[in-house]
Amino acid sequence: MPSTTSSNLDTVRNWLLAKHPERTSIAADEDLIKARLVDSLSFVEFVLTVEEASGVEIDHETIDLEDFRTLEAIERKYF
Amino acid sequence: MISELISKDDRFQEILERLNRKSVEDYYNPYRMFDWPDSLPEHRWWMSPELTTTFGTDIAAELSEEQLYRLSRFESINFYSLNVDGIRDLIVEVTRRIHTRGFEVPSEFFHHFIGEENEHMWFFAEFCLRYGNKIYRQLEPAGDGETWSDEAASFLVFLRILLFEELVDHFNSTMAADERLHDTIRAVNRIHHQDESRHIAFGRELVSLLFRDLTANGSQEELERVRAYIRRYLNYSFESLFNPHVYRDAGIPEPFAVRRRLLAHPRSAEFQQQVFRKPLNYLVKTGILPDRELGFARTPVGRGNA
Repeated sequence: MPSTTSSNLDTVRNWLLAKHPERTSIAADEDLIKARLVDSLSFVEFVLTVEEASGVEIDHETIDLEDFRTLEAIERKYF
Repeated sequence: MISELISKDDRFQEILERLNRKSVEDYYNPYRMFDWPDSLPEHRWWMSPELTTTFGTDIAAELSEEQLYRLSRFESINFYSLNVDGIRDLIVEVTRRIHTRGFEVPSEFFHHFIGEENEHMWFFAEFCLRYGNKIYRQLEPAGDGETWSDEAASFLVFLRILLFEELVDHFNSTMAADERLHDTIRAVNRIHHQDESRHIAFGRELVSLLFRDLTANGSQEELERVRAYIRRYLNYSFESLFNPHVYRDAGIPEPFAVRRRLLAHPRSAEFQQQVFRKPLNYLVKTGILPDRELGFARTPVGRGNA
């Protein structure tokens, strides 16, 4: 079952902040890829973090990058 | 320009000729090569236990023998799936370069390479689908914001191919010799190891050449970025062995937490150094990396402890 609490989305946000100690906050509409908070080598780890936090099984074959571009897009799709 | 470097390098050309000859002499029909029994025994190792991600950890100690066999089965399917996806990527990259400017000399070898890789992909996929009923799909890397010079881009493409082949070969050579494994499993690993030794020999020569091109024409700043990328790539490749979907399929509870615990376990850093022993020797010897340090010390972040 998808989670309905925002605390699980905070897990995703905290994961990003832990990877980028130079940052103290990430706006819900910030483009994570453009800001290079996620790149090609961290994308897998990032998707796994969303998958665990949301409890939604993500089909890696049909993933749409747009659903991972911002925290609000992730929330809309997976939480 | 890479074509000038290649055309001036007699050693590279001699090696290429030898490898081309070997490819022709060793040619085989993969579609007739293997015995494919209807099923393989479940109560047995499918992968050398030392190559499984839980080996030597408290998590393995918590599992029964039956669970460990089951886990080795799904880990082996994940390993062959990594091969299927990895080979697709390298075929695409080599196909992009065959018979293009700069790659005139190695193009004949590229024909052997693409043909052989296509066959490897077939037998790995066949194994996954016959005995695992699935191929674990890897995520397409997304969001690469790095910009590279042409020299660095070509160097990184062939370095990634080489590192992927070296990682796989560590597993293949170990499993080919492991008498605890079924003959079909050993054969798949043995055949792949034989072909890959040629591809690795070629890859090491080409990557060394491309590195000379990069250091001659690139900036120090870019070289440092390339080195940082290589270390991250080695960690990324290693982590792909730890697939939470595998733990789930093997019936291990809390698969994501298990993955985090395993990656944070001291054995993982040790295991990574074993897996990349040969390529790290190569990278340090050629000066591509200054040392073997990969900074693989995972901070367990994620649900509940971020």
